[in-house]
Amino acid sequence: MPDELVFMMGNFAARFPADRRYTLNHMWLRAEGGSLRFGLSAYALRLLREVYFLEWSVDAGATVRQKDEIGAVESAKAVAALYAPADGMIARFNAAALADPSAINKDGYGAGWLFEMTARANDAMEPVDYLRYLETSWTRAQALLKGQAAQ
Amino acid sequence: MSLLTVVLFQSSDREPRRCALEEGILAALAQESDIVVTAMPPLYDLADTDAALASLRAHAGPLAALAWLYPRAIHWTLHQRGIKGRFGETQLDRGMKPAAPENAADTPARTIWSLALRDDDTVAMHVAELQRILRDLRATTPASAPASAITHYALRITPPPPRWYPVIDFARCNHCMECIDFCLFGVYGVDDDARLIVESPDNCKPGCPACSRVCPQNAILFPMHRAPSIAGAPGAGPDARKLDLSELFGAPAAAQLAADERAAALARSDKPAKPKDDLDKLMDALDDAKL
Repeated sequence: MPDELVFMMGNFAARFPADRRYTLNHMWLRAEGGSLRFGLSAYALRLLREVYFLEWSVDAGATVRQKDEIGAVESAKAVAALYAPADGMIARFNAAALADPSAINKDGYGAGWLFEMTARANDAMEPVDYLRYLETSWTRAQALLKGQAAQ
Repeated sequence: MSLLTVVLFQSSDREPRRCALEEGILAALAQESDIVVTAMPPLYDLADTDAALASLRAHAGPLAALAWLYPRAIHWTLHQRGIKGRFGETQLDRGMKPAAPENAADTPARTIWSLALRDDDTVAMHVAELQRILRDLRATTPASAPASAITHYALRITPPPPRWYPVIDFARCNHCMECIDFCLFGVYGVDDDARLIVESPDNCKPGCPACSRVCPQNAILFPMHRAPSIAGAPGAGPDARKLDLSELFGAPAAAQLAADERAAALARSDKPAKPKDDLDKLMDALDDAKL
């Protein structure tokens, strides 16, 4: 299996390391200690472009359910609410990324991780399945981008 | 003569770090000339009959309001409670610059600056911003400016009980009345000019933000809701110039969520109401009801 998979977003090659799994809301996850560590996938970051603001609306230790709104990001071009990727407990947030969200852009798969959860994430996808999902998601994303930009 | 009246609305939880920030700001501003400063109980929870609000309504001059809410929520909560003015631009947006609300037709000419207090804030940053506002006022205010009508209030040890009701952003609301149709609890009404009003705020079901999700203009705020977009965070709204990608990041269909929340609130309201003084407990109850 290759180290990473590539999905072409127009001319942009979004890269997805094969050492982790991915969620429907475009986060990556991998085991870290006894928890799961989550961050934004290259697909999410390309749609947002440079993230410069990050905010959490729940505290570390909070129990959340999948799809609960837990925070928000803002970039020069876009805003987006962030939703819990799984049922579980948010163990901690990445204080460095919160203090300086540019870490998310620079190293989204490493130092720019977002939070750690005690969770199962049974429905997380293997990279190859995530790429298949992106093929359908990309059409919808382009329609949304064009629709909103035209307003 | 005072040029600027500063009102600091206390936090409802009386958390020690928040209290320390409040007291630090009050102490620093007490040294300033041309500023009258006073503390008041939490803006959102204040009863409509509270003397503190009456004193604010009587004050016609420039006003800076500091509270533990988003600036938009501060501005429109004041507006809804009869304390109206033009939206004053501040430099404390920390990367999330709010679109300056257009002024509603019934807005008087004075300016209200809304400063959001946050946990990581310092006394210095708020004092510096208020000094900046004061400098601008000194440059533009005629010598005949009215004196402050504000009465001083001591910090209250016991904050008022928490409330829960919608706040309308009249820079966005186009009086489409979707919320009146949607709400089952008679919270909304219309005034003599057929304009939307929050007629019976305390009919609202604690924790339920459902009407804000069905509002086509994103004009309904619940300032104490934990979701930033509902609590009045800048950026979320049809007039925002930025793309809203929330749907791509897993936002549930708003209409379905709203229907579920309304059903849960209705189910709860059939049970005898127990007084609760902790908003978190109410949030937990809402969560449990959804399971």
